[in-house]
Amino acid sequence: MKLSSLKGQTAIVAAALTLAFAGAAHAEVPSWCGPNKASLALLDGYGGNSWRLVTTASGAAEAALCPSITDYQYADGQGNTQKAISDIKSMAAKGVNALVVFGDAGPAVLPALKSAYGAGSVVVPYRVVVGGEEGKDYTKFVGSSFVDDGVSWGNWIKSILPDGGNVLFLSGPAGNSQGTDELAGMKQVLDDSYVFLNPAPFDVTNWDPALTQQVLSAEIAKNPKIDVIVSDFGPSLVGALATFAKFNRSIPAIATSDGNSLGCFWADNHEANPDFKLFTVATGNDNVRLAVQWAIAEATGGTPPTDKIFKAPVFEDSVSGQPNAVQCRADLPGSIYLSAVMSADDQAKAVNK
Amino acid sequence: MFPVTLAKGFVTVVVSTLALVILCLVYAPSSVSSGALAGSLPFAAVLAIVGLGQMLVVQQGGFDLSVAGGVSLAVVIATHYPAGNDALLLPAVLIAIGYALLIGLGNGLLVGFLRLNAIVATIGMNALIYGGVFAFSGGVPRITTNQLASIVGGSSFGIGNAVIFALTTLAVVGLVMKKTVNGRRFEAIGANRLLARSIGLRVRLYQMMAYVCAQLLYCLAGLLIAGLTTQPTAFQGDPLLLPSVAVVVLGGTSLLGGRGFPISTVIAAFFLNQLSQFAYALGVPYSAQTIIQALALGFGIGIYSLRWPNTNQTKQKNMEETNETLVS
Repeated sequence: MKLSSLKGQTAIVAAALTLAFAGAAHAEVPSWCGPNKASLALLDGYGGNSWRLVTTASGAAEAALCPSITDYQYADGQGNTQKAISDIKSMAAKGVNALVVFGDAGPAVLPALKSAYGAGSVVVPYRVVVGGEEGKDYTKFVGSSFVDDGVSWGNWIKSILPDGGNVLFLSGPAGNSQGTDELAGMKQVLDDSYVFLNPAPFDVTNWDPALTQQVLSAEIAKNPKIDVIVSDFGPSLVGALATFAKFNRSIPAIATSDGNSLGCFWADNHEANPDFKLFTVATGNDNVRLAVQWAIAEATGGTPPTDKIFKAPVFEDSVSGQPNAVQCRADLPGSIYLSAVMSADDQAKAVNK
Repeated sequence: MFPVTLAKGFVTVVVSTLALVILCLVYAPSSVSSGALAGSLPFAAVLAIVGLGQMLVVQQGGFDLSVAGGVSLAVVIATHYPAGNDALLLPAVLIAIGYALLIGLGNGLLVGFLRLNAIVATIGMNALIYGGVFAFSGGVPRITTNQLASIVGGSSFGIGNAVIFALTTLAVVGLVMKKTVNGRRFEAIGANRLLARSIGLRVRLYQMMAYVCAQLLYCLAGLLIAGLTTQPTAFQGDPLLLPSVAVVVLGGTSLLGGRGFPISTVIAAFFLNQLSQFAYALGVPYSAQTIIQALALGFGIGIYSLRWPNTNQTKQKNMEETNETLVS
């Protein structure tokens, strides 16, 4: 299994590199790509879902824009912290110049990052907070601003419900920092006239569609008036939203992150559900691109990007149509993310390997 | 008239469930509203089916830790193979059943014939199955076919189809176990393997069949989950492992093997599910929800561990119970 998985990953990476090199052949070398030759490794803590496959392919495509990168490798920790640590250490031992690390296990991978950094590699953890300090434990941390996502959702909620309303906020596992940051962002914008119906800080769903469905059933039964649902993983809502039909109620407004399945669900259901407005921020596959740019700039002597954290842009708004109306590619898998820089067809190839 | 003796497990779980429903009616009536039940009962049905599978294995003195893999594999086969094409749904279901048979036979051979420890054998098998899950899907979810979603998510005669699947499974398991010769032998072997072997019963074959039937039930549960959740993950079976054992224990089946209590197991599945709904409806924090469920499980185990009064009478009754088919 490991072998076939590895082959699959290699095939995706190879395909992405080929595509990207073909496109890059005539493009200008970006400023973050310096003259010094370097090797780069992308290390995932857990690579087994569509979001990660698209993200991995995006990282490989970004690396391929820089001709100074002579070697690109990928390792999947498969959700196993021990393996993730071993991957980081072995890449550093092999002398890979730059490591871009999705540290799913959080601070547990910090000692390995520190040891790789001490051995002379450029180390750029991204998205998940791993603790430690820049310049001491690793080169640069490229975070994602979940607070900004919360602010974007809050502003939209204010625009559609100027007089206040009832908000239901669903996030992943209990206490996850993404959810608490998003809530902090919303609270910056929404005053007390917006009532959060869920237990503080959010309804726990583990981003599991089955649990989401059960939690939502209970909340719908309990609350006769839900004006807007906020969720930080839109696609996991798709199965659960059908629950409203069992209560003979319209699906309310939804503020969330994008996904092709969600966009297509909106396209199929918004006419029958008059209150169903949809607003999404980008799911953030391109966070990896910024991390790769930083790592390559540091390793090859290029100019580092100006952005230090990834801010997910607003993607869809069914009310204003700005910056985009709701997108649906019914001919492609539901598990792709049309907000990503990578084209929808290339994503489909990555997830349909 | 034949005397009807109610098993202790059945009485306990029914009384607990009724008490819970009354609590719900008083403190959280929304959790027992028709809409809430329509939303939550299908998941209770899934848990009931998984619990019945686990019960078969527990009756043979074993544990099946490959529940998570078995359910997840059925989910990914039912969604990935058809990839949204209804015409491929039936072949996908048949493939899933085929794999379930193979896995069950594997578990059964390892435990029944090679005498491996059930926990070790099934945890290894679970890792192997997850290899299959990744090979099939790469961990990537796909959208369920419309046909499967409408079959599982629909309702007949006002009852959700998933619930009907669970009740039908219960009827089949109950009737086969309590009313057929093979079913009675199955229970007898679980109660006393040495005695069963000495009277010429094919102990190992029956033990193997427990794992095969269990996998078939996990497969059914996986197919139901694939229909209920439009975009399931590749790990949909993971959260079912602990509850599958919990409902068997709450239902009164001894972890040492022997007599099984299918009806009690299904009621226990409803109980656990309703307990979650009650906690959601009260709006208690997630930590408290987890603690409430753990306490309920501890309570269930405690009830059976306590020595009830009139121990001699109880012992005598238990001996009688092994010799007659009872309402359980």
